[in-house]
Amino acid sequence: MHRSFVPALSCSGVTVQYGPVTAIAGLSIEFAPDLIHAVVGQNGAGKTTFARVAAGLVRPEQGQISVNGRPLPTGSVPNARAAGVELVHQSFALPPSFTIAEAMEFGSTRPGGIFSGRSLARRWKSHLRSLDITADPNSRIRDLPIEIQQGVEIARALVTESKLLILDEPTAVLSPSGIDLLFDRIRRLKSMGVTVVLILHKIREVLAVADTVTVLRGGKHVAGPLPCTELESASLARLIIGDGTTVREGGDIKALTGADAPESFERTAVPVTETPARTTAPLLEIRAVSTAPDSEGPPLSQIDVTLQPGEILGVAGVEGNGQRTLVRAIAGHADLISGTILFSGVDVTRENLTERRRQGLRIIPFERNTEGLSLTSSLWENWSSGALLQGSLLRYVRPAQMRASCDTTLSRWDVLYHDCRQSAGSLSGGNAQKLILAREIDDEARLIVAAQPGRGLDVGATAFVWDALRSARDRGCGVLLISSDLDELFDISDRVLVMLSGRSVGEHSAPYDLQAIGAAMTGANQ
Amino acid sequence: MSGQLTSVLRSLVFVLFALLLCSAIFQTSGFSAVQVLNSIAEGAFLRPNAAAQSLRWGLPLFITAVGVAISFRAGYFNIGAQGQFYIGSIAAAICAEALTGAPPIFVIPACFIAGMAGGAFWALWPGLLRIRSGTDEVITTLMGNFLASLLLIYVTSGPLKDPSGSGQQASSRPLDSSYRISDSLGVSPVIVTTALVTGVAMWLLVNRSAFGVLAGLAGRNGQMIRWLGTKQWQLGLASFLISGALAGLAGTLEFMGPNGRISSGFLPAHGFTAILIALVANTSVIGTAVASLFFGGLASAALYLPIMVGLPASAIDIINAAIALFITAKSAFVDRLLRVGRRDHG
Repeated sequence: MHRSFVPALSCSGVTVQYGPVTAIAGLSIEFAPDLIHAVVGQNGAGKTTFARVAAGLVRPEQGQISVNGRPLPTGSVPNARAAGVELVHQSFALPPSFTIAEAMEFGSTRPGGIFSGRSLARRWKSHLRSLDITADPNSRIRDLPIEIQQGVEIARALVTESKLLILDEPTAVLSPSGIDLLFDRIRRLKSMGVTVVLILHKIREVLAVADTVTVLRGGKHVAGPLPCTELESASLARLIIGDGTTVREGGDIKALTGADAPESFERTAVPVTETPARTTAPLLEIRAVSTAPDSEGPPLSQIDVTLQPGEILGVAGVEGNGQRTLVRAIAGHADLISGTILFSGVDVTRENLTERRRQGLRIIPFERNTEGLSLTSSLWENWSSGALLQGSLLRYVRPAQMRASCDTTLSRWDVLYHDCRQSAGSLSGGNAQKLILAREIDDEARLIVAAQPGRGLDVGATAFVWDALRSARDRGCGVLLISSDLDELFDISDRVLVMLSGRSVGEHSAPYDLQAIGAAMTGANQ
Repeated sequence: MSGQLTSVLRSLVFVLFALLLCSAIFQTSGFSAVQVLNSIAEGAFLRPNAAAQSLRWGLPLFITAVGVAISFRAGYFNIGAQGQFYIGSIAAAICAEALTGAPPIFVIPACFIAGMAGGAFWALWPGLLRIRSGTDEVITTLMGNFLASLLLIYVTSGPLKDPSGSGQQASSRPLDSSYRISDSLGVSPVIVTTALVTGVAMWLLVNRSAFGVLAGLAGRNGQMIRWLGTKQWQLGLASFLISGALAGLAGTLEFMGPNGRISSGFLPAHGFTAILIALVANTSVIGTAVASLFFGGLASAALYLPIMVGLPASAIDIINAAIALFITAKSAFVDRLLRVGRRDHG
């Protein structure tokens, strides 16, 4: 690229390792001053790591960061701030009990001293006004609507005359109108001479606000900064998702498991699901459900989902688009504003999870090690907990008997272990997931919600999980499979629903069109 | 099993370390450590009547400590046993006062129930605060202890005041002798039976009920229980109530048994020793029984030490404090020691 400027931020050859995982590899990018730059990529592309390196939070193994042409010692937040680089985190970092003025003072590098609430409010009033934050400087951050909270975070980042502002997924927590407000704010910053780097994953938003876009994939620099004016959303989606060469041939389970895969992993063609008689009510019906916003991710907005018995419905989407809230809503953990949830035609909107489980709901939660298992407890306790929760708390139990049936079940599920009194934390990831499957896919299971069931597993274990979900489906269970791995979804789903910002943005059936789904996931077709 | 064995070993090592540390302290302050330890052993177990004395202190401690252990297992750090113990004793005293004249066969069970209800109530509000609004139970139960101490001062110097008292320490009117469940020695069939029944019931609850298994899981990972159903709050609240009720029961025993009355600030360390016992026992019911006898022995020896070696009774407090120090420090050193040992064996 023709260079006629001193880059506001440049990194060259930056590599970050997290243990055995390479988060970013040899990243070299230059960002021109006074522009709005977007950095995009799928989950795990290394966007956040890049932001953290630039802000000095992460020290790279290799590489150099320069600000306005001057090299910056890496891995030091004070140095980065002194050079004018500020990062606004995806999850807000200011103490909720602070007032706005206190947050500004907290962000400033002014030497401390004694101050009163009134003097603080006076000091920061004009700064806040210049950034269009009209809320009372003495109001507490926790009392503010989320858009204003984000505005305060940005204002906090700008108290030090910062010249380079990095925003990590700033739109993830906002409503559409909040996003418009944010973009206005960002354009104003640009006019004030601030260079803005936005970490985003929605193409629609990139094209709406950014001047240039840089694409990362798998920790590597794919393209950019490209001027947005020359880009079309379809070609950008292709850059983000990849050109298809990384996508496996549909259904090629052999290639996935390796040649020596056990017999049980073998699979003939995806069984054609007979359309169940529509006279029976669907297993799961979510009608126009909206949830209240909370800290665990974007809320659902008027989402409809229908799942028939004997069907695997895949839920695709870039992570953080309400999938977690969807699972929480099905579990009865989310705060519903409107809509109804029905299991086999029975309204369970007001039922708690114990009652829903009684009706056959089973959940393989997102976080295996924290939500799925108690790692310091024994295998048999973990395994028996699902059944124990269905009865009276004072029921007499015989641990020896439960251990014996635990042994029987776990060996049927091919879990590798020595003694069912060993702790769940001593199992490998794949065996831990099998333990959860053994608990959740029991004879009474009818509706199985599997959230990222293959994450972090090796190919053999992943294939086992898929096989388990398939055979549950073939027994007549309905499976809702949430995954950000499109290959996984395409391979075993009968239908795929795409989620974006808490809404369902289309349903696809095999043969799946990667481009179309990729576009829907990133919002390019909106 | 090996995990349980390790934790027993770890506790033993901690207690040994504490005794070693205290021996050094005694030695440097001019006492013979050997002689001190020897007279502790004598005061706790070897002298005639020493075993009975150890039981006198150990049984109420066991009842309180097993309750503390149950709340610890469920993941709640209820450190309000002292306050729950006081409120239990106050409730029992009020009940006895109100029913004066009724036959003992009626009054004694009524006082037991009142005492347990009182203790449970003193655990109920911190439990509700914790479960409904996430208020840290360490703070609320600790504050509850202070409130309970003040309430005890109030009732013993107000409504229940013994007018013939010396004025040194405000006390309630003594319990009518027909309602006493033991003499001042403090070991009687009623007290022993109460402790036994409590022990067996709690062992069954912890080891042979759905509650025991689930509370153990919830205590280690509450999030997981949340994803399996919504009984987390039931488990938590039940654990609070049980631990409060048992502390209240111990307060009732002290009131109706060896003390025969309640006095402001009586047994000021009871609830805290019980916490220590639950920690040393790593919340196992059987371990709690063993540790209670040990700490009961120490309490019994505390009365014997001044006579034998001229060491103040508070020397026992130093030992308790040293054990608490080692147990709570979760010494990485001891863990490594035990891990190395285990590797050698297997």
